[in-house]
Amino acid sequence: MKEKVLLVDDEEEFIETLAERMRTRGMEVSTSNSGADALQLVDDEDFDVVVLDLKMPGIDGLDALKRIKRRRPDVQVVLLTGYATVEKGVEAIKEGALEFLEKPVDISSLTEAIHKAKATKMILVEKETEERIKEILHHQSW
Amino acid sequence: MTITTAEDWRVISGESLRFFGEMSATVSHEIRNKLAVINEKAGLIQDIALAMKSGRSIDPDRLEVQAGKIIDQIRQANQIVGALSRLGHSVNATRTRIDVAELVGLVAELYGRKASQAEISIDTTGSAVGVSVITSPFLLEDLIGACIDVALPRVDATRTMAIASESSSDGAIVRFQHLEGVDDSDTQLGGEHSGFHAMLAMLGGRVVADCRRGELVLEIRSCEQSESGSQL
Repeated sequence: MKEKVLLVDDEEEFIETLAERMRTRGMEVSTSNSGADALQLVDDEDFDVVVLDLKMPGIDGLDALKRIKRRRPDVQVVLLTGYATVEKGVEAIKEGALEFLEKPVDISSLTEAIHKAKATKMILVEKETEERIKEILHHQSW
Repeated sequence: MTITTAEDWRVISGESLRFFGEMSATVSHEIRNKLAVINEKAGLIQDIALAMKSGRSIDPDRLEVQAGKIIDQIRQANQIVGALSRLGHSVNATRTRIDVAELVGLVAELYGRKASQAEISIDTTGSAVGVSVITSPFLLEDLIGACIDVALPRVDATRTMAIASESSSDGAIVRFQHLEGVDDSDTQLGGEHSGFHAMLAMLGGRVVADCRRGELVLEIRSCEQSESGSQL
């Protein structure tokens, strides 16, 4: 099954080119150039992975990460930034990011991170489904 | 320029290092972003070449377009590096004649990304041409940066901060315009014990809030003589 990815970055040339390369590699990719627009897309669609830039006008990457994890805890987030610092990396991981990658990134590293994110999401969804079934079976009167 | 105390020099040095560090970090991040675009464009060209090798017919114009975009990114990165280089060289002179509009343009360029993060643009087109003063270029750049930092959260609904420079009877005035709610507390910059107060004393300058016009005003007095000895 194709990985469903949302790329979020205010540098349009960057995301459009990266999106094209990821589509060539078999992924289903949407793009957004702002945190606010990305949150709307996350509400409307079921993405496996969101690849987020850290510094964006308006809602920045860390803020967007927190809001995405609140709305959709199973969606995996990969931070991809030219503004990497150890402090920001630690903060991002604490807030639930799966990976913190620095620009410029090798496409194979990013692809690997996305595969890992998709696998993590599937485990979470399976667990959730299992718990729901248990809950239903528990309350079901036979 | 006024002779300052050892304590003044200490706070000025600390603030100068902070400013240079911040500008260097900003520029290095900007360059990384440009490199990231170049990296993806080069990767896309590789992908296209692979597809062509495997027999797919691809319009050669696609390669030309991508190559043109790489050249454009390199030009932008070079411009950013040029700005940092000019800032770096400005440390060399402690007192020299500078073109105020040019210096304001340089600081505005370095602050462009920070402003755009706040969804604000900086317009320096209103500066008078040919206004010059004899001063410390690096300290003046730091002071202009400090004024931009204070002014950014005050920018009005136009979302554009205008920075206009003009000559005064004894030097130059730099106006940070289109601000709302500006008051005397904004003239403190980093506070009494920050390097800015010592810098202002050293350059014979002051910062004034013009609440009525919505402006923060930086006044700088020109020194009488540059390091090379040319008279004002």
